[in-house]
Amino acid sequence: MSAGTERGRFADVSIQEVIGWLLLAVVGLLVLDLVRQVLVGELPLGRLWAFTWNGIVDSLYIGLAAIGLSMTYSILRFANFSHGDLITTGAFTGWTAAYLVGGIGIAELSSRLLLRADGGAQPGAVGMDVVSAPIAIVLGLIVAAALTILVALAIDRLVYRKLRDASGITLLIASVGVALALRYIIALFYTTDTRGVVASSPQWETPAFVPIETINLHEATLVISALSLIVGVHLLLQYTKLGKSMRAMSDNKDLALITGIPTERVIFATWVIGAGLAGVAGYLIVLDRGQVTINLGWFLLLLIFAAVILGGIGSIYGALAGSLVIGLTINLSLVWIPSDLNEIAAFTLMIVVLIFRPDGLFKGVETA
Amino acid sequence: MALLEASSLDAGYGDLQILDDVDLGVDAGEYVTIVGPNGAGKSTVMKSIFGLTAYMGGSITFDGEPIHGKRPEEIIRTGIGYVPQNDNVFPSLSVIENLEMGAYILDEVPEDRLEWIFDRFPILEERKSQKAGTMSGGQQQMLAMGRALMLEPDLLMLDEPSAGLAPDLVDDMFDRIDRINDDGTAVLLVEQNAKEALRRCDRGYVLVQGGNRYMDTGEALLGDEQVRQDFLGG
Repeated sequence: MSAGTERGRFADVSIQEVIGWLLLAVVGLLVLDLVRQVLVGELPLGRLWAFTWNGIVDSLYIGLAAIGLSMTYSILRFANFSHGDLITTGAFTGWTAAYLVGGIGIAELSSRLLLRADGGAQPGAVGMDVVSAPIAIVLGLIVAAALTILVALAIDRLVYRKLRDASGITLLIASVGVALALRYIIALFYTTDTRGVVASSPQWETPAFVPIETINLHEATLVISALSLIVGVHLLLQYTKLGKSMRAMSDNKDLALITGIPTERVIFATWVIGAGLAGVAGYLIVLDRGQVTINLGWFLLLLIFAAVILGGIGSIYGALAGSLVIGLTINLSLVWIPSDLNEIAAFTLMIVVLIFRPDGLFKGVETA
Repeated sequence: MALLEASSLDAGYGDLQILDDVDLGVDAGEYVTIVGPNGAGKSTVMKSIFGLTAYMGGSITFDGEPIHGKRPEEIIRTGIGYVPQNDNVFPSLSVIENLEMGAYILDEVPEDRLEWIFDRFPILEERKSQKAGTMSGGQQQMLAMGRALMLEPDLLMLDEPSAGLAPDLVDDMFDRIDRINDDGTAVLLVEQNAKEALRRCDRGYVLVQGGNRYMDTGEALLGDEQVRQDFLGG
C-alpha cells in the first residue's frame, strides 16, 4: 500500500467526523464507567434509579413542549423562538388562577392576582399542594392551557398571519421579537423576581408490595398529566380527520391546498394544540420545582430545541424520543459533573448526533 | 356547451406572464390532450384552471359557471380533480389516509366510492395501510389518481402521469386513463409522451410558447406533417 492512497483515505475523514468520533469515544467510555461504578458499588443502585427517574420526569415536560415546537415547525414552517415564553405564560397564568381560587379568604386579592409579587400569600399558608387544594391545582392546569392558547392565537393574528408567505428566517426573527415582548409584558405585571409558589409536595406512603417506598405526589401529577396528553395527541394525530389533515399539511402544504384541506383551520388547530401543551408544561414544571421565574421557558427553550433536532425536526415522535434522550442525559451526567453544568452533556450529545445523522435520529423513520 | 371552457386566458406567476391568449375546451366525457415542447406552459394551463397561478385576463368557465379567480378549495367543489406532476401523494400518510384526504370536504368518507377506486386500482386495496412514501413511482401515481377521483369529478386533470415510469408501466397507465374516461369522466391530459397521448385521446392541443398553435382530433394532429416535424420528432 502506497503512502498516496493512505493520505487519500485520511482526506476522506473530515474534521467534524474526527471530533464526532472523539466525542463518541468519550460517551462510550462514560457508559462503560457507569457500568463499572454500579458494579463496584461506587454508585448505589438507588442513586442510579433516582437519576433515571428524574430524567424521565424532565423528558416528559420537555416532550410536552417539544410537540408544539415540532408542530409549528412542520406546519407553519419556522423555528418558533417564542415557544419558550408560551411555557412561561402558562406557568404564570395557571398559577395565578390556582392562587385566585385556592387562596380565597386566606390571602389578599392583590397577592393572589400578582402571584406573590409583593411577597405575601406564602404557598404553605395558602396550602398550595395537590392534597390541600386539588380543585385549585386542576383549575390552574386548565386555565394555563386555555390562556396560553388564547395568547398564541392572538399573537398569530397580530404577527404571524401577516407573514404566512414569508421565509422561515423572517418568521424566526419575528418570533424572537415576540418572545421578548411576551416575556417583558409578563414581567411588567409579575416582576422579574423568582419566587416559590408551590408548597412542598405531599408524599404518598405506598403499600408494602410496591418496591418504591414513597411517591412524590406532585411528580406523579406531572407524569400522569403529561403521559395522558401525549397519548391524547398521538390518538388525535393518527385517528381523527383533523389529525390526519395536520399530518397531510406537514407533508405537503401545496397538495393539502389542492385537496381542499382548509389550511387556516389546520394552522389554528396547530396553535391550539402546541400552545395548550406548552402552557401545561410550564404549569407542571412549576408544580414539580416549586418556583416560578420569568426566564422559565426561555432557559428551557434550548433544551427543547435540542430534543426536537435530535429526533429529526418536524416529527413529533422524534421530538418525544429526543426529549427522552435529553432528559436522561442531563440527569445521568450528574454522576460525573455538577448540576449547573449538566446541559453541556445534552448539547455535546446533540453535536455527536448531528455529525453522524444530520437529519436527526429518527428522520425518515416516522414523521407526523 | 363545453364542460370546461377557457377563452383568451392570460396567466402566470407573480408579474411573469406565461399563458398568452389560450383557448381550450373540454366537453363532458371527452378525452383531451395538451402536447408541446418543454416550457410551453402545459402545466401552467392546468394550474391556472385550478386557481394556482396569477390570473391576468380572459375567462375560464366550468359547467357554465366562471371559475377564474377562485381559490383551489372552491374549485375542487365544482367537480374538477387535479393530479399535479410531482409530489402528488402525502408520503407519511398511509394509502387509505391519502384517499380519505381526497374526500376531505365531505363529512364522511364515501365507502362506495372507495370500493369503486379499489376496483380500478386493486393494488391500493392490497397496500391500504402502507405509507405512500414507501411505494414505487407507478403505485404513487395510481394513488394520486385515486385521491383525485374520490369526489367523483366530472373532469380529471392529469399532469404527465407517465413521467418517471418504467417503459412497461407507461402503457398500463394509459390503459387506466382510458378506463376512467370510458366510465364517463372527462380527462384533460398533459403528456411528454405526445404520440401515445394523441393516439388515445379524442382531441389534442399543441401548445407553443404559452399560446395554442394547433387544435384538432388526435389522429389528425398525428397525421399533420408540420406538427409531426416540429413537435413529435418526425
